[in-house]
Amino acid sequence: MAPPPAPPQKSPSPSQPSGKSEVSDLKLQLRQLAGSRAPGADDSKRDLFKRVISYMTVGIDVSAAFSEMVMCSATSDIVLKKMCYLYVGNYARCHPDLALLTINFLQKDCHDEDPMIRGLALRSLCSLRVPNLVEYLVAPLGSGLKDGSSYVRMVAAVGVLKLYHISAATCLDSDFPAVLKSLMLTDPDAQVVANCLFVLQEIWNLEANKSEEASRERETLLSKKLVYYLLNRIKEFNEWAQCLVLELVAKYIPSDTDDIFDIMNLLEDRLQHANGAVVLATIKVFLHLTMSMNDVHQQVYERIKAPLLTLVGSGSSEQSYAVLSHLHLLVMRAPMLFSSDYKHFYCQFSDPSYVKKLKLEMLTAIANESNTYEIVTELCEYAGNVDVPIARESIRAVGKIALQQYDVNAIVDRLLQFLEMEKDYVTAETLVLVKDLLRKYPQWSHDCIAVVGNISSKNVQEPKAKASLIWMLGEYSQDMPDAPYILESLIENWDEENAAEVRLHLLTAAMKCFFKRPPETQKALGAALAAGLADSHQDVHDRALFYYRLLQYDVSVAERVVNPPKQAVSVFADTQSSEIKDRIFDEFNSLSVVYQKPSYMFTDKEHREPFEFSEEIGNLSLGQESVGNAPRYAESDKDLLLSTSEREENGGPSTNGPAASGYSAPTDYNSSLVSLSSQTQSETAISDPGMPKYTSQMTLAIDDLLGLSVPAAPAPPSLKLNPKAALDPGTFQRKWGQLAVSISQDCSVSPQGIAALTTPQALIRHMQASSIQCIASGGQSPTFKFFFFAQKLDGPPLFFLVECIVNTSSAKAQVKIKADDATASEAFFGLFQSALSKFGVL
Amino acid sequence: MLQCIFFLSDSGEVMLEKQMTGHRVDRSICAWFWDYVLSQGGDPSKILPVIASPTHYLFQLFRDGIIFLACTQVEMPPLMGLEFLRRVADVLTDYLGGLNEDLIKDNFIIVYELLDEMMDNGFPLTTEPNILREMITPPNIVSKMLSVVTGKNSNVNTRLPDATASCIPWRKTNMKHASNEVYVNLVEEMDAVYNRDGALVKCEIYGEVQVDSHLPGLPDLTLSFSNPSILNDIRFHPCVRFRPWESDQILSFVPPDGEFKLMTYRVKKLKSTPIYVKPQLTSDTGNCHINVLVGVRNDPGKTIDSITVQFQLPFCVASANLTSNHGTVNILADKTCSWSIGQIPKDKSPSLSGNLVLETGLDRLHVFPVFQVGFKIMGVALSGLQIHKLDIKNAPSQPYKGFRALTQAGEYEVRS
Repeated sequence: MAPPPAPPQKSPSPSQPSGKSEVSDLKLQLRQLAGSRAPGADDSKRDLFKRVISYMTVGIDVSAAFSEMVMCSATSDIVLKKMCYLYVGNYARCHPDLALLTINFLQKDCHDEDPMIRGLALRSLCSLRVPNLVEYLVAPLGSGLKDGSSYVRMVAAVGVLKLYHISAATCLDSDFPAVLKSLMLTDPDAQVVANCLFVLQEIWNLEANKSEEASRERETLLSKKLVYYLLNRIKEFNEWAQCLVLELVAKYIPSDTDDIFDIMNLLEDRLQHANGAVVLATIKVFLHLTMSMNDVHQQVYERIKAPLLTLVGSGSSEQSYAVLSHLHLLVMRAPMLFSSDYKHFYCQFSDPSYVKKLKLEMLTAIANESNTYEIVTELCEYAGNVDVPIARESIRAVGKIALQQYDVNAIVDRLLQFLEMEKDYVTAETLVLVKDLLRKYPQWSHDCIAVVGNISSKNVQEPKAKASLIWMLGEYSQDMPDAPYILESLIENWDEENAAEVRLHLLTAAMKCFFKRPPETQKALGAALAAGLADSHQDVHDRALFYYRLLQYDVSVAERVVNPPKQAVSVFADTQSSEIKDRIFDEFNSLSVVYQKPSYMFTDKEHREPFEFSEEIGNLSLGQESVGNAPRYAESDKDLLLSTSEREENGGPSTNGPAASGYSAPTDYNSSLVSLSSQTQSETAISDPGMPKYTSQMTLAIDDLLGLSVPAAPAPPSLKLNPKAALDPGTFQRKWGQLAVSISQDCSVSPQGIAALTTPQALIRHMQASSIQCIASGGQSPTFKFFFFAQKLDGPPLFFLVECIVNTSSAKAQVKIKADDATASEAFFGLFQSALSKFGVL
Repeated sequence: MLQCIFFLSDSGEVMLEKQMTGHRVDRSICAWFWDYVLSQGGDPSKILPVIASPTHYLFQLFRDGIIFLACTQVEMPPLMGLEFLRRVADVLTDYLGGLNEDLIKDNFIIVYELLDEMMDNGFPLTTEPNILREMITPPNIVSKMLSVVTGKNSNVNTRLPDATASCIPWRKTNMKHASNEVYVNLVEEMDAVYNRDGALVKCEIYGEVQVDSHLPGLPDLTLSFSNPSILNDIRFHPCVRFRPWESDQILSFVPPDGEFKLMTYRVKKLKSTPIYVKPQLTSDTGNCHINVLVGVRNDPGKTIDSITVQFQLPFCVASANLTSNHGTVNILADKTCSWSIGQIPKDKSPSLSGNLVLETGLDRLHVFPVFQVGFKIMGVALSGLQIHKLDIKNAPSQPYKGFRALTQAGEYEVRS
């Protein structure tokens, strides 16, 4: 065992004060050793190097010793060399001038006899990443690609990509892609082939937007010849390279059904590979190939079932988690698939809770007539689990299964048994479920109410559960003899009730109870309304005021508003649209599945896009030459990422708008009325001028409660855009961060438009004709993303900013508009939409 | 592709960072990650393996007190990231003879070297331990001795592994060995769940065929089973040829050198388990009486060894007094109670009994512990899988062949 490299008194903290003096001490010692040829010098060098690197590792800046390290690097000891490479690679970027010193010995090492050293030196040389040293890279890379040792060729192939990222022009001018291509088709070593493929994919993907030739090259990567060449060699590749090839094959479009079956036969045994990543990549290929062949697709589901279940059961919990996320996706599309394998999803005690949670979701999703009894029995055992969050989840799962209409009878019994367990969180979760069940199956009310009536409201503390209990008290007050009195005692403790949700429900329940049993409830209702009016919470106050005035106006109207006859809820709204689920399915075997969102919702920028982004802005911003260097774009990239999250936060409440506004402050109504009347010529739709003011507020509020929308303002006089609008990227970004989204809508793109949209440039030119300029664009088929802006022609310089995500596979564009003057954004959206709809048609 | 890998200690300290691409990932991401861990309760083993931070997507793996954290900004297959981290952890464990903070800090040069060979520019290269071992010598006593004797003071092999030039990536072309032997081990784990009513809900075996081969030249092995039809969900090491298995259920392969997992399998729907564990809990007025009986249900014909029963006392238990008539009972600080029995004596059946005092105010116990059972049986594969024969072709002389079997408890739980 090697001795500890760092002196024992050293603390790992990077801010440790002695760090500086130790670095200068190291420098001194290194300098003394630099020229030494004495025996044993290598050993002392090695100790010193180890210390330097251990400092580097814990985060102490030892870049000051750079020149000393380089001086010491003339050595034949390979470990010393490796340490030196590591050090140089880490610090060359901040010392580009000194990095020049290392070029010499690295280049020399590139001609070493030992292939290992040649490879390592070449790898380090390419990892320096100093732009002005690019010229020294080309020759060693060129000879590296022709080296006799596959190890060196393998390193050189990746080196080409590193060169490309430092200087794309140098890489392309030296014709490296062509060399890689021939290497890919001829090299006997599979790892070299894989690396070439990896590099070419990345280069052509990035170049495809810039040149026709590159996008043609990208196409050839998906040609039948190449795909079959790789598939035939697939067993030679190591597991990771297999993943890469499979990923490529998943994009391949087969020419006919024979093609599909050939590929599937070639890949059949990959499903039994020990590496889960390979198995999942193969499954993706199978699913994609058979997408259009319905019956084969079903067979594929059957075929992939066993490998997937094995992955869930046998691997680490991390693996189970990732695979379960995929299973969840599959089960949404083929619910019957796993219905007989439900036991695989039983929770083990030692599973981490994130796995248990997914397993519970699976159990909920696969429950059907045949297995509901067993699944619910199992879930009920978890309710007594030591792990409280899981106990809660499993009760919720039981409820969800009940809502799926299988075997409701038995489940209701089970739920009622939960209530008798007298465990506060079990009771709480169950109450919420019983409420949902009653909304769907009012016929069970009799059994449920009998048990719920026995629950003391004192034992229910959680706001959600308490609100559910109060809802039931109000809704079924005619069947519960104590209902008015329980409500009354709850209202007496109004001030101790912290959750506004509970107080809101109390008000409504008191109203409902009052309509059914007026004499018993009148006092309680009065107390509730009084307490509500004095409440500091705005919503509670408003609801109390609303009820109060409604009662004052007419009790029978109030009953019609507050307690109309209800229809049983047949389906509870699903949180995810089927379109989004389809999108996620297209992205099988990717992070999208784990996050349960399609990638456009969470990957805003790919790491390589900053290059492209800077390019675009550089081209398009007027009067501003070369907007800057890479670091600046790294920064702006981050800004964008952050601004999206803010944007989503801003967007959140506004989508709830209609529901919430029913209860918002009266002053709001006033102001919105004023602003409406100032905008609209015809106010008749809103209020009768003779009516007292508060009635108009009321009608509006009731309209809102019932979900009727306020009539929209007619469009202001048509909007003209400045054809020579200019905006620099900085301002754009600032504005984008500051402004709120005024319009967010989907619109469709014509099929001709989709056909024309092979590169982002096509749409950019088209929109320019309508005086809408592009400031940045990115993405690749099928998803393109654009940032546009436009300026109003006359008046003060008002800008409209647009984020537009076009999906060519669904022929949809998602448009988000932010404007300096939000009132004009509707008109602008009209212009934008008409411009977009003309794309490809003209 | 992965942009950066960090190793963190279980207190959130960054031990090591390895940048993979030109896009440097700032260390501040670790601070963000650690804040996230703390916000989730501070236990790294309970954190989601895939997390989205505001700037990066993170893969994390917690193993033996070390957090392996990988960052990326692009869409990639999640299993690729997770599997890779798992391999890194496996390879390091293998190299360093274990995994803990001190071992990593003492050997970080080796760790850097390994990471360098395992991944280039964010794309995984080779993770096969046999090949890495030939490129970078593990820091064990033997190699230290060798270096002293030979005067060669380097842990890097100066010769490239032959496997990189061989058409069989897991084996170098001309292996020379003093020993000439091969061992085949069947290692099985039994997963079983008994529900509250004592019914067997689930019982299956997860098994591995482990091979330890030290054979010269390029040997070609075939292994066959007497009853291959019982196997389900089979997965193979890359060296196994697929066709012979498809047609005749024969494993035909050229083995890598050293230890490797030839095949994994699952045997489903077993009807019985070798031992029984019967817990009984009765509670009244703030006390809960507990009684656990253990005995042989189904004699496997060999000694059942290392029997343990472990369970978590519910949090509402204020104190516990447990005794057993055989073996030792320990209650740990986190209220885990472990009862180690060892072997079941011939004259009596082991039982554990005692009293749990509940917290004041509680009348009955509402939360029921799950009893996790451990055992080990040497010499038996409980699935019933039997090796028929092992043939070796291309061997200069007939090597020594050894077979062993072992069954142990995997996820074996009894609910009460």
